[in-house]
Amino acid sequence: MMTDLVLAMAGAGGDGVISAGEALMTAAARDGYWAIMTKSYGSQIRGGESSFRLRLATEPLWNVGGPLDVAVALNWDDFLRFGAELPVSGRTTVIYDSASGIASDNLPLAVTPLEAIAVPIGALARQHAGTDRAKNTVVLGLLVGWLGLPRESLLAGVRKRFAAKSSEVMEGNLQAFAAGIAFAEAHPLRATRLIAPAQPPKVARLLTDGNDMCAAAAIFAGCSFFGGYPITPSTEIMQFLSDEMWRYGGTVLQAEDEIAGIGAAVGASFAGRKAMTATSGPGMSLKSEILGLATIAELPLVCVNVQRGGPSTGLPTKSEQADLFQAAFSAHGDAVRPVIASTSVADMFGTTVEAFNIAEQYQTPVILLSDAEIGQRKEVIDPIDTTAAAIINRRPPNDLELEQYVRFQMTQSGVSPISHPGMKGGNYLASGIEHTESGAPTANGATHARMNDKRIQKLASLKARRDLFSIDGDHDAPIALVSWGSVAGVAREAAGLARREGIRLKVLIPRLVYPISEEVFGDFFASVRAGLVIEQSHQGQLFRIIRMFVDVPRGLESLARSGSNPITPAEVLDRLRTMVTTLQGRGVPEPEPPPG
Amino acid sequence: MPPTATCTPKDYKSDLKPIWCPGCGDFGVLQAVYRALAASGRPPHEVAFVSGIGCSSRIPGYTTTYGFNSVHGRPLPIAQGIKLARPELLVLVASGDGDGFSIGGNHVAHAIRRNVDLTYIVMDNQIYGLTKGQLSPTSSKGLKTVTSPHGSLEDPVNPLLLVLGCGARFVAQSTPADMNGLTDLIEAGMRFPGFAFINVQSPCITYGRPESQLKSHKAAMRPLFSPATSPEVKRPPEAVDHDPTDRLRAMQLAEDYGKTLYTGIFYRDPAPEPTYEMLATQRRRSLMAAAPVRSKILDRFVVR
Repeated sequence: MMTDLVLAMAGAGGDGVISAGEALMTAAARDGYWAIMTKSYGSQIRGGESSFRLRLATEPLWNVGGPLDVAVALNWDDFLRFGAELPVSGRTTVIYDSASGIASDNLPLAVTPLEAIAVPIGALARQHAGTDRAKNTVVLGLLVGWLGLPRESLLAGVRKRFAAKSSEVMEGNLQAFAAGIAFAEAHPLRATRLIAPAQPPKVARLLTDGNDMCAAAAIFAGCSFFGGYPITPSTEIMQFLSDEMWRYGGTVLQAEDEIAGIGAAVGASFAGRKAMTATSGPGMSLKSEILGLATIAELPLVCVNVQRGGPSTGLPTKSEQADLFQAAFSAHGDAVRPVIASTSVADMFGTTVEAFNIAEQYQTPVILLSDAEIGQRKEVIDPIDTTAAAIINRRPPNDLELEQYVRFQMTQSGVSPISHPGMKGGNYLASGIEHTESGAPTANGATHARMNDKRIQKLASLKARRDLFSIDGDHDAPIALVSWGSVAGVAREAAGLARREGIRLKVLIPRLVYPISEEVFGDFFASVRAGLVIEQSHQGQLFRIIRMFVDVPRGLESLARSGSNPITPAEVLDRLRTMVTTLQGRGVPEPEPPPG
Repeated sequence: MPPTATCTPKDYKSDLKPIWCPGCGDFGVLQAVYRALAASGRPPHEVAFVSGIGCSSRIPGYTTTYGFNSVHGRPLPIAQGIKLARPELLVLVASGDGDGFSIGGNHVAHAIRRNVDLTYIVMDNQIYGLTKGQLSPTSSKGLKTVTSPHGSLEDPVNPLLLVLGCGARFVAQSTPADMNGLTDLIEAGMRFPGFAFINVQSPCITYGRPESQLKSHKAAMRPLFSPATSPEVKRPPEAVDHDPTDRLRAMQLAEDYGKTLYTGIFYRDPAPEPTYEMLATQRRRSLMAAAPVRSKILDRFVVR
């Protein structure tokens, strides 16, 4: 019995690949499995190839996993377009439509899979449902038969999906589903692919993706204004808010461009509301100037970047983590703004709430880095304890302060009480031009230096917040993994595999990726002789930024790769093994055996 | 602060000393804004005054309202965000011709079609003054400036025709040469329920052409006169009769931008539709629960 299984399916547009994946996710959540699903599409608007990759396990999951255990190819042309996203290995069971006429020992693959089974998927669909459109239902039946996936939950899903259709369509699909199961039962697999039964969850689990979670968390955090412009792969954030925000007393503006989107959000923040915008790389480029305005005017703002492959239009539908330099350094002038990153769908809740809290507490724009993988991937997660989430609001001036209000007053923390239009006595001039404490425009060099100091120094206490860094492992371990964003899940899983081999290591996942906390990183690296910074970019951007601010161990290396070329736990483990060998060669004591 | 009804122009005047050149038309606009604000009856803290970059855009700082001197070309999006966030505020926007019709041109069309209740005052001087005399989008063809030393090769933007073409519901033009008229128009713009556009021919005394200074404005201006809407006002001899509900005729008059200085209301929608923020408020009312619980939002994701 398997406790962890990676499954993928690819086909043409209209094959219902994604809806089959979603049906599997819903059934998995209901029956107590943990699951992560990524979807991938060609760039066609309609009718292009589509695929999903789904990892199903009896324990919580960190990432989408490595090579496929089971691959379903509705047709080979479409399957092969996904390349490394759907990696078939010698341990993969391949299921494909026999209509292709390709012999199972002559598949168009670079490796010979463990087993390949041609199934008359289309023929069964036509025979039982009278249409090719039921191919996905046949596949669901096959998976129930071969993998032991929850039959009742999937059946309920099929019924629900076709509830609104004619009884003919419903009946056809139910028959197609049964035919898939029957075929699987009549043709047992050589390798067992049966998944172990899961414990039904005590509390209903959640199923969502990072974009929807980000939008929901924004509402929870008290966001009441969103201004934005549609851009892949972030658009679902605006779509969700366009539906929901009004119910919570807020407003959503689909602006004429990215600049107007963030401009309106800054305006709403000036007016005292928690405001947000969301975009992806090209949009971030356009928003740069107004981000700087929010910095100098000290206005809270959350700006989400769901990163995709770049530069320019790049790979709009693929994930990458190559906008970190941009997030940290795209401002002109000495504008330091907090950049925080989410590592998973579940983590997106806390990260988004944190983004609002930091923005409000420090009166600054906060860039929240997500990526296409987190944004688009669906996860089954535990319910979120919202009572544990603190909400921070900006500090308004009190009556005494309003008597002689000084908007940018120097304070111990560098944060000044902030008023908003409508507040009597709080009148002030917000400006992009340098200003005095009272808000009057100035070109005085000394004032400029003091105000820069105020705006940068107010973030010192943020860098000291250790709760913005997830550190686990032995405190004095000689080997370290550092990672961020969606790839952090790969690092976490690799760390688990390494520990099982007796490698002593520790893992640092920063939620605050900029400004770099010299203290936290410095302390972390104190015991470290070698390690990897793992990320999805060509240059290894976090690796380089850390080295700008921190003296890192000489053995710290970058494991970085352009987007759409997955990094797997297995290859991280390989690198770690090599590192251990090298360290041993240098006379470093052997790692101690793991406890127990 | 005195009670709402008794605010005087002085109550809107801040301590900052304008950086404008002596004789700049923008001083007149500022005075007119003070007077119109006093007439509006809205105390300074209920007013947000947003601007972009340019000589004109310094204006919010010279008032005691909440001001926002933002970045070049972007005051309209920022002002819309403010108004949508707090519809109860009076929101004014100031731009120059560069801010409004060059770098921020895109936002004008969309602010108009969105119809957020803003009063948009463009101080149009047909030159870039703050950066010392470059070509502007409303500079006339052939004009020699430091960036067009051999003469401009471009036709100017016609701001009046542009906004009328975009469907603007309130379109007016004035000049500080006519302080009473300018004050009245700004006040009318504030009172108009919807996006109001006022093009103010505000001369640049340093880089502007001699023929577009206040003195020449005074001589050249042709007030638009509407006997139907203002029967009590005496028709000035130089006036041109115009029905401000006649949009096509307004466009004909707008054609003369740069040739004839018409002042007054070109067009005012006689039956203004609800503004964006009114519709947004209605939508919230219809969708919002009495006391929404924000943590409930996660219920959307529960698999049952």
